[in-house]
Amino acid sequence: MEYGSIEREIHIDATPEVVYEVVSKPEHLREWWPDDAELDPVPGGTGRIRFGDPDSPDAQGSPVTVMEADPPRRFSFRWVYDDDATAAPDNSLLVTFDLVPSGTGTLLRFREDGFRERGWEAAVLEQAYLEHAEGWNHFLPRLAAYAAKLATP
Amino acid sequence: MSVTVDDDLWSAVGDPIRRRMLDLLLAGGGGTATTLSEQLPVTRQAVTKHLGVLGRVGLVHGTPSGRERLYHVDEAQLARAVAQLSAVGATWDARLQRIKRLAETIQRTRNSQGTDSAENG
Repeated sequence: MEYGSIEREIHIDATPEVVYEVVSKPEHLREWWPDDAELDPVPGGTGRIRFGDPDSPDAQGSPVTVMEADPPRRFSFRWVYDDDATAAPDNSLLVTFDLVPSGTGTLLRFREDGFRERGWEAAVLEQAYLEHAEGWNHFLPRLAAYAAKLATP
Repeated sequence: MSVTVDDDLWSAVGDPIRRRMLDLLLAGGGGTATTLSEQLPVTRQAVTKHLGVLGRVGLVHGTPSGRERLYHVDEAQLARAVAQLSAVGATWDARLQRIKRLAETIQRTRNSQGTDSAENG
């Protein structure tokens, strides 16, 4: 068992192609995770995600490097590393989305690895992100508005 | 959605011997490598290594006591480790729920666009 990881599975009533777009394209990333995302979703592509108002001293961010981009099966990236570093197993967290066809939908398997290698500092950094990213109170109104927009013909 | 919460998965806290050591230190109000190894199926040398791991992440602090060091658990740091991990997991749960809703909304939109002549209400 890998203790330094988080694993989740969730069924989604959408095709793997649609789920892949949502987890990999910056315009969708912005809707479910950070406040802003720049990312070239191809292997080796780098970018940045940001939380909070960029003009605020509380704004936070992290570089992102795409590791695998294999539509519509797998999308993985590394984040939470120093801006001047190259993402590597010992300095970052690895997020992997595996998409498995399931009926007319998709089984989305998520994992985040690297806590063991990254150690305590990453925990503290992630904690800081949580304070921005946590909670339905912040996200639900945005999500509802976005969903309504998409659903409008 | 199935939620896997592996023990309390922090690197240092993840090892069963180290968790047992934390339990013993908390129960006994502290301990040395010798007193811990007497209560565990591992050698004093192994206990010393584990104490080093716990010490590096701030979960225990040692103070000189005779020829040994007396270790205590940093309870604030332990609480932070446990809270941190469950918070990270909970935050990803929320993100995955948002992914699900976004993808399903897009799918429904595409389905209805693909069959917009059909009377599917």
